[in-house]
Amino acid sequence: MLVMRRSIFSELVAVTAYPLTLYLAFGFGLKGYIADVEGIPYPLFIAPGLISMTAVNAAFTESAWSMWFHRRVQHTIEEYRVTPITVYDIVVGKIFSGFCQGAIKGMAVAVVIFILTPFRMDYANLTAYLIYIALGSMIFSCLGTICGTTIDKPENIGRVESVIIVPLIFMAGIFFPLSSYPAAIQPLIGMLPTTAIFEGARQALLHGTLNWRFLVVLLASAAVTFAVAAVTFTRKMSE
Amino acid sequence: MIEPAVSLQSVTKTYGSFTAVDDFSLQVERGIIFALLGPNGAGKTTLIKILTTLMRPSSGDAFIEGHSVLTHGKQVRRLIGVVPQENNLDRYLTARENLVFHARMHGLSPQHYNPRIDRLLDLIGLANRQSDFPDTFSGGMQRRLVVARALVHDPQVLFLDEPTTGLDPQSRRVLWDHIQTLRSRMTIFLTTHYMDEADTFCDRIMIMDHGKALVDGTASALKDALSQAHIYEVEFRNHSDRYEEILRSLPFVESLERSGNAFRLVLTGEESLKPLMDSLGSSDVRKICLQEPTLEDVFLELTGRTIRE
Ligand SMILES: Nc1ncnc2c1ncn2[C@@H]1O[C@H](COP(=O)(O)OP(=O)(O)O)[C@@H](O)[C@H]1O
Ligand SMILES: [Mg+2]
Repeated sequence: MLVMRRSIFSELVAVTAYPLTLYLAFGFGLKGYIADVEGIPYPLFIAPGLISMTAVNAAFTESAWSMWFHRRVQHTIEEYRVTPITVYDIVVGKIFSGFCQGAIKGMAVAVVIFILTPFRMDYANLTAYLIYIALGSMIFSCLGTICGTTIDKPENIGRVESVIIVPLIFMAGIFFPLSSYPAAIQPLIGMLPTTAIFEGARQALLHGTLNWRFLVVLLASAAVTFAVAAVTFTRKMSE
Repeated sequence: MIEPAVSLQSVTKTYGSFTAVDDFSLQVERGIIFALLGPNGAGKTTLIKILTTLMRPSSGDAFIEGHSVLTHGKQVRRLIGVVPQENNLDRYLTARENLVFHARMHGLSPQHYNPRIDRLLDLIGLANRQSDFPDTFSGGMQRRLVVARALVHDPQVLFLDEPTTGLDPQSRRVLWDHIQTLRSRMTIFLTTHYMDEADTFCDRIMIMDHGKALVDGTASALKDALSQAHIYEVEFRNHSDRYEEILRSLPFVESLERSGNAFRLVLTGEESLKPLMDSLGSSDVRKICLQEPTLEDVFLELTGRTIRE
C-alpha cells in the first residue's frame, strides 16, 4: 500500500545535499589531515556509511512522520480502517513505504557519490552491500512506525530523532573506525544494530564479505522491531 | 422477520469512568433514512465508530446486515460506506486519486471502478475539478467528495456523521438532493444537528442524550407526542411587565418564556385556556395562538435548554 509521492525529485536533491556536504567536507576537506584509515583512503572509508546513513535515516523519517501525519493530522488512517483491508495490512504498508523511501534515497546518494569519485570497486560486492542497506532500512522503518504510532506530539518525534536515532548512527563508526573506541566499550558498540549496519555494509562494499554475526544481529533486530511495530499499532487502533 | 440493516444489542462504551454510550439497543430496518439526533457529547459519534468497526464496544455487540462488528469486522467493512464527522481526505492525492485509492482498498479492478468514479464525480459536480487537490476545494465540495468516496464500492449501509454541519444552505441542499437519490438503494444512518433536515428527509428519528435513547419514531409521531403539551403564544400591546407577574402567579402555567412583549407558555391542559383569558382580560392582548410544536421543541423538551460543549 504505497502512498504516492510527488515532488520526489526536489526531495531527492534535498536529501542528497546533506550527506554530500559531509562527504565533500570530511572526505576531501580533511583528506590532507587524515591519513588512510586501516589502509583505505578516507573518502572511500566514509562513503558506504554515508549511503547507509541516508537510507536508514530516510526510512525512519518517512515512516515516523507519515504514520503521525495520517493518524493525527489527516485522519486518513480512519478512512483506511473502514475498508476491508486490515490493521495489519496498514502497518505493513507503512513499514514498506518507509523502507522504499530509504532504498530510493540511499540509491540517489550512492549514484551521486559514485559519479563524483570513480571507485575501483568490485560490482559483485554490491549485492552483499544491498542486503545490509535493506535490513537497515527495514529496522529503521519499523522504529519510525513505532514512534509515529505512539507519539502524538510532533516535537517529541523530533526529540526521539535527535536523542536516539542520530547518536545511534554517529556512534556506529561512520566517520571513524571502531578501533578508536577504548577497548572496554568496544564490545558494547559492537552490539548496536547500527554498528552491524554500517560496519557490515562497509566490509561488504569494500571487501565483499558478509559478516555472519552482524547479519544475525540485524535479522533479529528486524524481526523484533517488526513485531513490536505491528503489535503497537494494532493495540493503538483497538483503543 | 427480515434481518435489520443495523442492529445494536446492549452496547455500552466507557472512556475510563465516563459512560459515553449506555446499554444501547436499536434495530434499523433496511432501506430507510434513519436520523440520530442529540446535543454535542450525546454519544452519536461513538455509536457510529462502534458500528463502523473503528472502536470496540466495552460490552454488547452490534450487527450490520447480520455480521457482528466484533467477530466479522472485515465483512462489515465490505458492506458499509462511512462519512466521518471530520473530512479525512488525503491532501496529497487529487480528488480522483482519493476515490481510486478507496476503490483499490476495496479490491475493485480498474474496469470496475473507473466508470463508477466518472459517474460519481459527475453526480457531485466535481468532474472538471477531479485532478485538483482537496485543499483547493470549498467545504461543501470536500464534503461531497467524502460522500462520493463512501459510495465508490456501492455500500449497503451508508453512515453519515453530521454530513451537513458547517455548510451553507446551498451546499446542504445539494448534498441532501444527492442523499435522497440513494434512498431506494441502501440504508442510510446519519446524525445531524439540523432538525428541519431530519424532519423533511428522514423516515425515522431517534433522539438520544447521555448515551441513552430518549424517543424514537417518525417526525410526525414525535411531534404528536408533544402536542399534548399545549403551547401558546401570547403577545401584549403594553404593560407587559404587569402581565408577566400575573402569568407567573397562575397555577396552570407550567412554564413561561418572555421575549419583549411576547410570551411562550405551556399550559397544563386545554381547560386552562378559559381561566387564562379571564385573568388577562382583552384590552392589551394583541394576539394569542396555539403553537404547533416543531421537532426542535421536541428536542429541547427532551434534552433541556442548557448549552453543551
Ligand atoms: N476518545 C475519547 N476519550 C474520552 N472521552 C471521549 C472520547 N471520545 C468521546 N469522548 C466523550 O464521549 C462523549 C460522547 O462523544 P461523542 O460520541 O463524540 O458525542 P457526539 O458525537 O454526540 O457529539 C463526549 O462527552 C466526549 O467528551
Ligand atoms: Mg459527533
